Order: sequence, then C-alpha cells, then structure tokens
Amino acid sequence: MSPRSDRMLAYWMILPVVAAVLTFIVGPTYDVFTMGFTRFRMGQPMEFGSIANFQSLAADPVFWVVMKNTAIWIVGGTIGCVVLGLAIGAYLAIDSRLTLVLRAIILLPWILPDVVTAMAWRWMLHGQVGIIGQTVSGAGLTERPISFLGDPDLVMWSLVAVVVWRKMPLVALILCAAIRSVPQEHHEAARIDGANAWQRFRFVVLPHIAFSLTAVTVISMIWITAEFTLPWVMTGGGPANSSHIMATYIYQQSFQFFNWGIGAAMSVVNLVVLMAIVTLYLYIMRRSWRSEADR
Amino acid sequence: MSRGSSVFYWTMMSVIGTLIAIYVLFPIFWLMLAGFKSSDELARLPISFWPSEPTLKAYADLFASGTQSSQLLDWPRLISNSFIVAISSTVIVVFFGALAGYAFSRLSFPGRDLILGGLLISRMFQGAALLLPTYRLMNAMGLQDSLLGLTLLYSAFGLPFATWIIASGLREIPVELEEAAMIDGASRLQSMVIVVLPLATPALITAAMWHFVGAWSEFAFASILIESTRNSTVTIGLASFVDYFSLEFNRVGAAATIIALPVIVVFFFGQRYFTRGLLQGAVKG
Repeated sequence: MSPRSDRMLAYWMILPVVAAVLTFIVGPTYDVFTMGFTRFRMGQPMEFGSIANFQSLAADPVFWVVMKNTAIWIVGGTIGCVVLGLAIGAYLAIDSRLTLVLRAIILLPWILPDVVTAMAWRWMLHGQVGIIGQTVSGAGLTERPISFLGDPDLVMWSLVAVVVWRKMPLVALILCAAIRSVPQEHHEAARIDGANAWQRFRFVVLPHIAFSLTAVTVISMIWITAEFTLPWVMTGGGPANSSHIMATYIYQQSFQFFNWGIGAAMSVVNLVVLMAIVTLYLYIMRRSWRSEADR
Repeated sequence: MSRGSSVFYWTMMSVIGTLIAIYVLFPIFWLMLAGFKSSDELARLPISFWPSEPTLKAYADLFASGTQSSQLLDWPRLISNSFIVAISSTVIVVFFGALAGYAFSRLSFPGRDLILGGLLISRMFQGAALLLPTYRLMNAMGLQDSLLGLTLLYSAFGLPFATWIIASGLREIPVELEEAAMIDGASRLQSMVIVVLPLATPALITAAMWHFVGAWSEFAFASILIESTRNSTVTIGLASFVDYFSLEFNRVGAAATIIALPVIVVFFFGQRYFTRGLLQGAVKG
C-alpha cells in the first residue's frame, strides 16, 4: 500500500478523536475566554471586549479568600502528597510479603469515586458524631469534639488532609517503582564505604529518583488544581465562604447564583494557573527527553 | 545484624504496614459499616464500632425508592442510568480509541507526535474551568439533561487517554506479524482487525476499565447537565444527601457502598491491567 493512502487512512482514523477533543475541550476553552471578556446581565451576553468581570472579581472580598485558599490547597496538598508519598513509597520499596500486599491495596483511595470519598470523610470529620472528633475528645485532648469542617480556621487544612489521602497513593507507587530501580550495586558500594541507612537514602537513592520526584510533584499540582468534587461535596465552600477554592467558586457563581460573568472570569484565572503548571510540566519533561537523547 | 535488632526491625515493619493499611482502608470501611446501622444507633453517643443490630433497612429503603412516594430519588433508576452512560461511553471510547491508537502507533503522517501530545495535554484542562462553557455548548446542541449528552461528553473526555494506552499497547506488538499478513494479501484494515487487535486485547481491556471507572464516578459535569431526577446518575444521588444530612448516614453508607462496589470489583479483578494503565499513563497527567 502506498504511503500516500496510508496517510489518508491515518487522518480518517484519528478524525473522531480529534473532532471530539476540538468540540468538547478546545472549543469550550476558547468560549470561556471570550465569556470572561464579555459583560453579562441575567445570563445574557451584552458586550464583548470589557474587563468589567475581572474588575468586579477583584472588588469581591471573597475572591481574595478564594485565591488564598487555592494557594493553601495546591501548595499544601502537593507538599503533603509528595512528603507522605515519598515516606510510604520508601517503605513499600522494601521487599517483604506485607509490602507486596500493601502495594495492591494502597490504590483503593485513588480509585474510589470522589463523591464516596467526600461522604466518607464528611462522616468521619462530623462535628458531633464523627469518629475522629469523638476519639480525640474521648482521649481527653479536647473538651468538645472538634468540628473540622465547621471551623473556618480548620476547614481548609481538613480539606488538604483529605485530598492528600485521595492523591497520595499513586505518588507513593510511582516513587516506590523509582526507588526499586536503584541498582543493587550502588547500595552495596555505599554500604562498603560505611554509609548508614539515612546516608544511603540521601546520597544514593535521592539523586537516582530526583527526576521522578520532580515530575510527580508537578503532576500532583495538576491533579489537585483540577479537583472539584471533594471540596464541593464536603463543604460547598462553607462555612461562610471560608473554604472556597477556585473550582468551587466557579461552580457556585455560575450555577447557583447565575453570575456568568464572574464565573467565566474566575474560570479564566483558573485556566491561566493551569496553563502555567502545564508549561512547567512540559518544560521538565522536555529536559528529560533531551537528557535521554544525550545518553 | 544482631538478633535483637532484627526482631525490632520486623516489629517496626509490621507496625508501620498495619498503620498504612488502616489509613488507606478505614474511611471507606467505616462508611460501609454505617450502611448496616440504624439511624438511632448512628445518632447515639458514644459511637459503637460494630452495628449493634445489623440491619439492611437502608438498602431496602434505597431499592424501594422507585415504588413509593418517598423523598428519596429513584435509586434503581439512578443505577441503571449510570450503567448506561458508563458502558456506552466505554464502547465508544474503546472503538474510536483503537482506530486512533492504531494510526498513532503504526502509520506515519505529518503532525503525528504533535497531535498525540496535544491530545494528552487536553486531558489536563478537563476541570472546573470548563463547566460553564460546556453547559452552554450542551444547551446549544440541545443535549442538556440527557444521558446521550453525558455519554458523548464522557467519551470526548476519555478518548485521549484511551488512545494513548492503546497506542502504547500496539507499539509492543511486532510489526512483522502484520507485514506477514499483508504479504499474504490482507489489506491494512484486514490485518489490523484480524492480526493486531486480538493481540492488543490487554491494552483494550486496560483502556475500557479506566474509562468505565472514570465515567461511573464522574460528578461535576453530570450535576450541571442533568436537571431532572429521571436522568440523574448515582453520583448526583449520593451528593444530594448533603441537603438533608445528619440523620441519614445509614442511607449515605448504603448508597456509597452501592457506588463503590462496581469500582472495587473492577479494580480487584483487573489489578494487572490497572497497574499497566498507571505505569503507562499516569505520568502523562
């Protein structure tokens, strides 16, 4: 068969996928950018080329709470995922029957539907009958059960703890695989040189997994930035807007208050943040491809 | 290593392992237990760990919800809606993903790597920022509040990843097999269907499982597109318990168990395929 007809065949074969992505992802992305710069009244577009939406967004005190919370959410969640994921990954990398079983079940939080996870934690963190608050106060540590999701000072950190639970397993597994790929001879050589366990981790393992660690950090940031269902079902942005992040704020403004202009402007901000992280990701991956080509 | 320190080592290993297992399993286990308790028991303090009188009442309520005039949503209907959307979009995604995966792995054409890269990056933007424009798009197409609309949307969201997994699987199959078939007179399409796809079954299963689990679990887009209770899905049903909460945790537990079950079953029976998908695709976002 000629290369020319092969080429035509290839385009026909990828057409449905490309068309689907253009219609349902690229098109809407473009649309939300134009919406962000269009003035809306009662869901009706009025004029294009206005930055009124962004001005009202910046004038909204909740917007700044949202930005602060989003920073806590992304930075706190990513650090939590990577630190806990590295610790658990290092443990899972040890050869034993126990770790073999754990490597299988650890993915459970990763595959559970987010709505289920949100309900499970809402139940455990409940202010009156939640098992965590009851256990802590039962042990005499607090006078009354803590209302993790009802206290504006605690709620963001509680959400971060849950998203770490949800996203950490895959980080742990990826880092576990990276740690297991360290050649045995390197361990032996370091041991002969008298390195203790920490020194072997610091000077043999860590340099070897540095790339996986960087990549997984940026990927965690992307996952956590995209997460909507967990915070929405757990708190809905409350109490008193104290746990709104960009995703929940977009949802509330667009579909509960029908402020499409604000919703679109917030979406644009969200997309810009995402694009920055994705660019960072591509940059890191590019360097990895180049270094592989050099080898 | 002395005997004392090795006993200490194994004790530590087991303690840490047990703690990790509890951390990972407890939340879902605890919610499932709630499904077998009575609402009285759930409101009582101190908290009882095991159900004092295990009951299936919460499950009975959910499954009877279609027949009586309760405030509960019609759960048998929600379950069948979710299965319809998840299964039909899985079929679409595997079919078109196989076509595109073949082209990306076997044929050379200008822009190939760029287009595949673009597809993968598009996955990273499927978040809350697209809720509003998607709502507008679906309304413009007359696909709001319909299972067909949801199916098409999930298919579009799932296709890039499925294409990627299938393309990666196809690359592992030797080209010689296909060339042999083509020398024997098979056309490219014939050799693809008869020779290559059967060998690519593991990749097709991986793609299907990942997509099924994602579509079954999706909440955000379903909740903005579906307006009538007739077309609701299980995730919308579970989230709706938030509105009238505290006394209904046995029903929440039962509903959550029903939703988690298919996912857990797929996960445990297809562990091999799942891990394969993870290693190939996860690092790509």
